[in-house]
Parts: sequence; C-alpha cells; structure tokens
Amino acid sequence: MVLTISPIIIQIILYFAIFLIVTLSLNLEVGYAGIPQFGRVLAVLAGAIVAGAIPGRILAFMIGERYGADYANHLYNFRIVNAITTNVLAPNPLLSIAILFVTLALAAIFGGMIGYLSSYPALRLKEAYLGITLLAFGDVLQLIAWNYDPLVGATQGVNVPDVFRWIGVGEGRFIGATFTLLGFAILSYIFLDLVARAPFGRALKAMRDSEVAARVYGKDIVKLRGQTLIIGGAMAGIGGALWTLYTGSMKAITFSRLTWTFWPWAFMMLGGTGNNLGVLLGTFVFSTVRTLIYTYKELLTAVIPISPVWLEYILVGLAIVLIALVRPQGILPEKPVLTVPRETIEEIRKSVSEEKK
Amino acid sequence: MLDVLLTAISLSSGMALAAAGITMIYMSTETFNFAHASMVAWAFYVIFTLHLFFGGTPYLYFPAAALFSGLLGVIIYFTVNRWLLKAGATMVTLMMSTLGIDLILYGLLNSFADNLTLTFKKDARYFLLPSLDLKLGTIGATDIKLIHILGLVIVIGVILSIHTFLFKTRFGVAMRTTVENPTLATVLGINPEMVYLVSWFIGGALAGLGGAILAMVVPGEPRIGMVFIVPLFSASIVGGLYSIFGSLLGGFLIGISQQVGIYILAQMLGSWIVAYKLVIPLAIMVITLLFYPQGLGGIPWGDILKKLRGGE
Repeated sequence: MVLTISPIIIQIILYFAIFLIVTLSLNLEVGYAGIPQFGRVLAVLAGAIVAGAIPGRILAFMIGERYGADYANHLYNFRIVNAITTNVLAPNPLLSIAILFVTLALAAIFGGMIGYLSSYPALRLKEAYLGITLLAFGDVLQLIAWNYDPLVGATQGVNVPDVFRWIGVGEGRFIGATFTLLGFAILSYIFLDLVARAPFGRALKAMRDSEVAARVYGKDIVKLRGQTLIIGGAMAGIGGALWTLYTGSMKAITFSRLTWTFWPWAFMMLGGTGNNLGVLLGTFVFSTVRTLIYTYKELLTAVIPISPVWLEYILVGLAIVLIALVRPQGILPEKPVLTVPRETIEEIRKSVSEEKK
Repeated sequence: MLDVLLTAISLSSGMALAAAGITMIYMSTETFNFAHASMVAWAFYVIFTLHLFFGGTPYLYFPAAALFSGLLGVIIYFTVNRWLLKAGATMVTLMMSTLGIDLILYGLLNSFADNLTLTFKKDARYFLLPSLDLKLGTIGATDIKLIHILGLVIVIGVILSIHTFLFKTRFGVAMRTTVENPTLATVLGINPEMVYLVSWFIGGALAGLGGAILAMVVPGEPRIGMVFIVPLFSASIVGGLYSIFGSLLGGFLIGISQQVGIYILAQMLGSWIVAYKLVIPLAIMVITLLFYPQGLGGIPWGDILKKLRGGE
C-alpha cells in the first residue's frame, strides 16, 4: 500500500472502533433501557471465547489437524494455527471473509444467549443488586475461561487464525484490520441510531422513565427487557470476537471487568448516557487521551513520577468522579430523538395551524 | 483439616469486618462502596510500610491501618459522596462514583508500591506478612498462630463496641433513626451529615481492620482488593445489607464455605476444582439474591419458627 498513516492515528482508530461497539451496546442497555449492566465483560468474553475456540477448530478439522481438546493445548496450538494462517487463510481472501462472518455470527448468537440468560435476574432484581449480580456472572465466566484448558487454553491462551492475513503482512495487515473494525463500529452506530428512532427505542425510554406508565400503554416490560439484553449481548459478543480476531490471540486474563465493563461505563458517562452521538464523542475523547498517554509516556514520567499504566487508572477514575459531580448528564446530554425528518414535522405543524384558522 | 479450618476462620474474620464496613456505608448513604477494595488493599500497605520502617510485629500497626482507611472514608465523603447525596444522585451514580474513586486509589497504590520497591530494593508488589506471625503452639502437625485467635477476638470486640455504640449512646440511636427514616430524623434535630460522616469513618475503619487481619492470612499485592471486593459484596448482600451483624455473619458464611467447601470438594473431585473457589461466594450471593432479595435478614425466620412450633 502506498498509503501511510501515522501509527498513533491507527492506534486511536483501533481503540475508538472496538470500544465504540462495546460502549454503544452498553448504552442501549443502560442509557435506553435503564438496566444497570455491570457485567458487560460477560458477553464480550463470550464473543472472545467463540472467536478463540471455534473458527480455528473448523479450519483445523478441514485440513485434518487436531481439532479436539488438543487444539487448545499450547504444545500444538501455535503450530496448527500458524499452518492454518499461512497455508489456508492467507492465499484465500474469500474463505477468510467467510470465516470472519461465521465467527461474528456465532459470537452474536452466544452473546445474545448470555443476554437472554441475564434477563432472568434482570426481571427480578433492581438497581445495584442487579448490577452486582451481573458483575458476579462476569467474574465467574472469566474464571472458567482462565482455568478450563480444553476451551481456550486457560492460562496459556490460544492463538487465533488470522482472517486478515490476506490483506498483507506486517503494517498493512494491521491497517486493514483496523479499518475493518472501524467499519463494523460505524455499522453498529447506524444500527443503534435506527433502533433509538424506532418505536422500540422509544418504548425502552418510556420503560426506563416509568415502568408503570409504559405498562399502562400496553408495553410488555418482560419482553422489552429480554430483547434489549439479547441485542446488547449480541453486539458486545461481536465486539469481543472482533478484538480477538484482531489481536490474533485469546487470553482470558485480558478480559477483565475493568477494561470491558468499567471503562465503557466511563466512556458512556463522559459522552452522555442515553445519547448515541455522546457515546461516540466520549469514546473518541478517551481513546485519544489513552493513546497519547502511551505514546508520550517517557515525557510524562519525566514530569510526574507515576508509571503511565497507573496514571491511566487515575485519570479514568478522576474522569468518572468529575463527571458524576459536575456534569452527570455528560458532554452531550440526552435529547428527544427526532423520528421523522424535520421538514415533515414542519409541514404537519403548518397543516395543523392552518386547520385551526 | 484443622489448618484449613483455622485459616478459614481468620480469613472469615477479616472478610466479616470488611463486609460490615460495606453495610455500614450502604445503610446510611445507600452507596455501594467499590472503593472498599482499595481501602482493604491500602491497609495491607500501611502495615507493610510501617513494618518496613519501624520493624516490630505487624500487629502493632493494626490501629494505624484502621485509622488510615477510616480517614480515606472521611475524605471520600467530603470530596465526593456528600455532594452527590445533596444532589439526590441515583444509586447507580453513587456506585459509579465510588468506582472512580477506587480506580484513583488503585492507581496511587500501585504507584506507591512501585516507588517503595525502587527506593528500598524490597519487593513491595508481592510480600508475605503471614510469615512474621507469632506461633503460639502446635496441635498435631498444625501450628496455631496468633492471628487465628486474634482475628476472632477483634471481631467479638467490634461486635460489642458497635452494639454499645448503636444501642447505648445518643449518637448511635440518632444514627439508627436516620437509617430508619431520614426525614423524620431531621425533624427531630438530628444532623444527617454528621451521621453520614461517621458511617464513612466507621465503614472505612472496618475495611482497614479487616484488611489488616487479611494481611496476616494471605500474601499482599496491589490487586488484592480487586480480588476480595466481590466476595465482600457477596457477604454484605447475603447478610441483608441492612444489618451490621447480618453482614458479619455473611462474612463468616462466605469465608468458611469458600475455604472449607473447596477443601471438601477438592478431596472429592480432585485438586483442579481449587481454581474455581471464588465461584462459591458468587453462587451463594446470586442464589440468596434471586430467592431472598432481602438477604438472610429477609428470610421470615419468625414465620418459619412459628410454623415449626405449630407443628409440634
């Protein structure tokens, strides 16, 4: 490729894309439906496990390699995955893309299933109790993925066949993969924006603001909550799978509640809970700040005697506290969504006022 | 088996105190305090650092650990929680704000541990205080350590003093009134802010004291609070969230079932199960919440007893 982009920009786009998908799914559940989703990592991890466990096994089966529990064994895994990537996926763009979509579809299904299962406590518990319960579920799944070898190699992790290898080797691959992620992020944004404008989105907000009132107008609360959790879980699952496919390896320890639950919360709160555009802005600001901290860490450590890793925690924490104190509604507060084009509304208004005359 | 039981009891003592701290803060301010993780972890480091500087037995620094975390609680109240309570923030916002504080304290703690390691050339990112414990005697092949006894003594001391404080002093009664009905309490001339402040101090101090006990049982590392926070929440929720004594009980239930339960399961199923020991407190909590959302206190013990008596 002739096109050269600064690695800093690529890094910002990467973080922005992946966290936009996850944060948007969180916003659907928290901002729109009012479910305190403190277990976002659960569905993300489910998607990551799917991406780590399934496509590699399908391909290993196809080329006659070990695909059982041995696949995840670190003695064989690297060799098998390496063979798959170089011999099968790299010369075969169509198969790579097909595998990408199959993986994402499976991740969405598993993420959605996780969402459906979470609807059991979500219908029975309120507020913080529900939050803590979902948090506990997330911890349990991480513990299983971290300790159960045959699934995704436990502490050793597994390598994931590279579905982006056909784009190129080295930098070109990462740029291609990053823009693929960005594409999915944009699709998620458009999808959720349409959801927000649809009757479904407005019903969710009605349910959030007053459950009783929504029920009076014939809205089925049980169904609405379940659907929200399924859609949110599926999106988060796709996010987890995309991240795993991008990094090319799956280690359960990297899917902590801090990175995949609390950070998206911080991004959402900064941008504006309940406002998709705000979430986009919040995610962008955080991704940029985060990348800049890492890029200029030498300069920073010269000024502040704190390692950039911990500085990041302090800054994210400070941001959460300050937002909660100073601007709980976020940078872009929630606004009523416009469901029909402005011109149409104007026309209706005109015709109504003419009738009155 | 005896050593497993002794460790379980001292671990539970620490967890019970820290869980009581969570309940204390939740009862009066409706804030689920995530920062409890860091308060517990900082207690480890207060003891470690003071021991590094002044030597002696770690037990000398227990009060300092309690005081330090108590002051952290006061600081959190004055800088963040007070304003959010005044603004009438929702439960989720209150919870999120303490999460932010926790991240700040966690970052600072890690940075502190790094600097300690660099300056004193002593690994502050992983240390073993239990090895400094005093040996009181041996039963069979098991050593009886001071913490095995002292942990329980501290818990009993705390129960007695909190009970005296809440039921025998004017301020304690005022506190219970505020928890019961904040509006009515203000009518009676009770200053709720003072109540909130004291709750944060006691809650923090309990976290510090619990952390101090835990420091004598498990190895210390900066992420220790993150490991313990979910079991602590479990203990507090199982205890019913509205009863200090319930949460102490919850702490023992969670701690002992986790340690002893996993020991028994490992004997039955093999040692691979030990890796999943954190599932036990979470399972207990989820089951309690789903069937008795009010916790152990919400189970109609009176009705059950009546039925049992009626059956006689």
